[in-house]
Amino acid sequence: MHEPPHWRDRPQNERLLARECRTCGYVSFPEHRRICKRCQDEVEWDEVRLQERGTVRSYVVQNRLPDEFETPLPLAVLDMPQETDGEPARVYGLFTETEPDDIEIGMVADADLRQLFDINGLPVHSFKFKLPRGER
Amino acid sequence: MRDVAVIGAGMIEFGELYEQSTDDMAEAAFLNALDDVDYGISPDEIDAGWLGTSNIAGDANSGLGLAHPTGQFEIPIMRVENACATGSSAFRAAVEAVRAGSADVALVLGVEKMHDSAEGLIANAALDQVWRGRGVTMPAFFGMRATRHMHEFGTTREQIAEVSVKNHENGSKYPYAHYQFTCDVEDVVQSPQVTYPLQLYDCCPVTDGAAATIIASEDVADNYTDDPIWAAGSGLSTDSLLRGNDSALVGFEATTQAANQAYDQANIGPEDIDVAEVHDCFTITELITYEDLGFCEKGEGGQFVEEGTVHLDGEKPVNPSGGLLAKGHPIGATGVAQINEIYEQLRGEAGAVQVGNDPQYGLQHNIGIGRNATGSVSCVNVLSRER
Ligand SMILES: [Zn+2]
Repeated sequence: MHEPPHWRDRPQNERLLARECRTCGYVSFPEHRRICKRCQDEVEWDEVRLQERGTVRSYVVQNRLPDEFETPLPLAVLDMPQETDGEPARVYGLFTETEPDDIEIGMVADADLRQLFDINGLPVHSFKFKLPRGER
Repeated sequence: MRDVAVIGAGMIEFGELYEQSTDDMAEAAFLNALDDVDYGISPDEIDAGWLGTSNIAGDANSGLGLAHPTGQFEIPIMRVENACATGSSAFRAAVEAVRAGSADVALVLGVEKMHDSAEGLIANAALDQVWRGRGVTMPAFFGMRATRHMHEFGTTREQIAEVSVKNHENGSKYPYAHYQFTCDVEDVVQSPQVTYPLQLYDCCPVTDGAAATIIASEDVADNYTDDPIWAAGSGLSTDSLLRGNDSALVGFEATTQAANQAYDQANIGPEDIDVAEVHDCFTITELITYEDLGFCEKGEGGQFVEEGTVHLDGEKPVNPSGGLLAKGHPIGATGVAQINEIYEQLRGEAGAVQVGNDPQYGLQHNIGIGRNATGSVSCVNVLSRER
């Protein structure tokens, strides 16, 4: 396990802070580089907050994992819109408290801040996804 | 620029080779490659080497992993690592160097021990960066495309399973394959769930192996054989699912990019390819690769395999060796072995899995996943019977 990266990535993991390219609109998340993955130029970025509700674009259900994980463990690639206008960020996310059969492409899911694991006693927080309240 | 030919190819049987070290496997593949050269070759005629390995077992950190088992000291050797495209990237690099004139005869050696540390590999992939990768395994990276492909194009679970059925059928006839059994669609969809929608028979096994290829420039190839197989084109590209292009949800754009580079260099199109060895780490990978390589239209991969076009006796045979699904996937060795298989096919020496369409052009393809699946790498090489 690497400790400094988890510290560096706290704004992304704990506050869903992303950056939007002023040139092409690409949303960089969780990365926060100077060079845009799409324009391939060093560009100006605006900090943007992502909504805590995303749309599932595809998913799998993992059944075989190391012992640290509870299975079956659904995992999805989601588009998370910005709080204001603009393109969403495309991210991977683990699910929690969700029946695998309830997941489908196109559904919305809510991001929920959790302690994912700890490193030498230091907790690492990030978001997991689950069905919106009321749909469970 | 000079033309470059494959003049010799050697492999070992892939499998669970607990009793063999990386060096043992590399040495055996090298000796088999030397033996394969039609008019013979002396080891001291090799003037450069490329080693493809991901060093899963921690056994070879430099070109020494090639020099020690083969005795190829005092020549330039580079170790190449490029995810699952390691072997094909090593071949590509060697061809480019010979083409440019920095060597006349070069050795490409791919080797991997997967069995000494399979647990470590899986655990490392599963436990890393919070967002991009935590808890994400290899089948998940690929399964994500399967779910989406089924949703978007109506590809069926049975069509995906057909890839496994075909490749195990081929592998059962191929002497170097790890698995020699056959199965039907029912067996595949009844096999244990790994990562929905992929099951055990959708996944390649954990396999050790080695393969060696000897290449030569047009200036000297005639000294070694009357039947050289020419390196006609090559492409290499990287891409990322997280760049936000929707097409990446149902395909591997790096493959299309690498294939287009290779076709352009060879001055051909996908319709000219007579036989292909492609990366089928999972069934869905091969199905999508038909589309990415331009063998069929986007979304038609399921139909393409179901109709038998890619079978041994079909119009466009894919993975006559049994592919990674049957043969196994020792990372550094995989691409080199595929080159060797295409070389055999174009020479008409592939025995029970020889395709019957008198192949002129053969294609070899790898796709590799890295950066917790957000980035992918693809390498495509095209070989030709005619110069
Ligand atoms: Zn941009």
